[in-house]
Amino acid sequence: MAEQKLTVGIADMKMLQGEGILVTYALGSCIGLCFHDQRLRLGALLHIMLPLNMEAGRTHPLKYADTGIKETLKAMEARGASRSRMTVKIAGGAKMFEIAGGSGLGNIGQRNIESVHAILKRENIRLLAEDVGGKVARTLLFDVGSGQGCIRSYGQKDIIF
Amino acid sequence: MIKNFEQLTSLEIDTLREIGSIGTGNAATALSQMLGKEVRITMPEVRIMGYNEAIEWIGGPEAVTAGVLVKMSGDVGGIMLSVQKLELINFILETMLDQGIQSYEELQELQQSALIEVGNIMISAFVTALSGLAGININLTVPAFAVDMQGAILTVPMAEYGGMSDYLMTIGGNFVCNGQEIPSHLLLSPDLRSLDFLLRKLGVSDG
Repeated sequence: MAEQKLTVGIADMKMLQGEGILVTYALGSCIGLCFHDQRLRLGALLHIMLPLNMEAGRTHPLKYADTGIKETLKAMEARGASRSRMTVKIAGGAKMFEIAGGSGLGNIGQRNIESVHAILKRENIRLLAEDVGGKVARTLLFDVGSGQGCIRSYGQKDIIF
Repeated sequence: MIKNFEQLTSLEIDTLREIGSIGTGNAATALSQMLGKEVRITMPEVRIMGYNEAIEWIGGPEAVTAGVLVKMSGDVGGIMLSVQKLELINFILETMLDQGIQSYEELQELQQSALIEVGNIMISAFVTALSGLAGININLTVPAFAVDMQGAILTVPMAEYGGMSDYLMTIGGNFVCNGQEIPSHLLLSPDLRSLDFLLRKLGVSDG
């Protein structure tokens, strides 16, 4: 059987069990989170864009770190995953443009990183590895069987983590 | 008050298209004067797209492009982005420096400065037209430059206004240089509040 490969869009999450690859392209300031339960060989990849969901009545919980992580945990737990076994690897949070004179613009990546860290800690999820910050875009591939991640960037060597 | 981009009426969209037309027209004139070549524009477009749709529209997430980005503040806040693909880059570099490039890796500091300058002049020309038309003041930051996956470049305006909308609005158009159409994206992404203000200033919104 050909290996299954699913693409995760922006403000999106997908889950696979057994084997297969989840991929999300061109993470800039956004962050990709690979959730894994090794015993079940269950993996989910979440692509968030902003640190905190502060709007009422909005329909895109997966766009934000806080509500996105909650939704993903709920979906993983519904498939039998346990928080004590669960691990997470994250990539992204870059600053694509260096704007002179500051402004909040370039800092969304950094705010995303801080928010993801805080929420994972609060939810008691172990952060196993990360490749965050900097100023390059990242494409993130996640093998749900082994839990291994691979980061592809323009003009750089692939990072396996 | 406009709550989201989907609420725009066809009159409002037409007005934005007109802004796009005048803005990119001005930018094309600036480019033409700078390079000493004929530069015209194709029919400008106003697009309101979901995030993933926008990335497909620009040509896929992983393709590498150069981007010149300027932030607007003052009466209208937003981001202007000049997305420069290899064809446009070569048109600029061959005209200004007598030598093109095969790939983005070859961009040296001198070439980068030329691209930033051209991007900045086009953006400034666009914004000058916009502020003249609406009688408003817009301040621009110094241009920032990046060469990377275009998906990540395009998420910059998305993330900036992502707290207000699930959509990205772009106004822009392609250039025709020496009779040859060169894909180019000169994008204006205003924030929602500014868009509302702008439409009222132009007298097409009664909100």
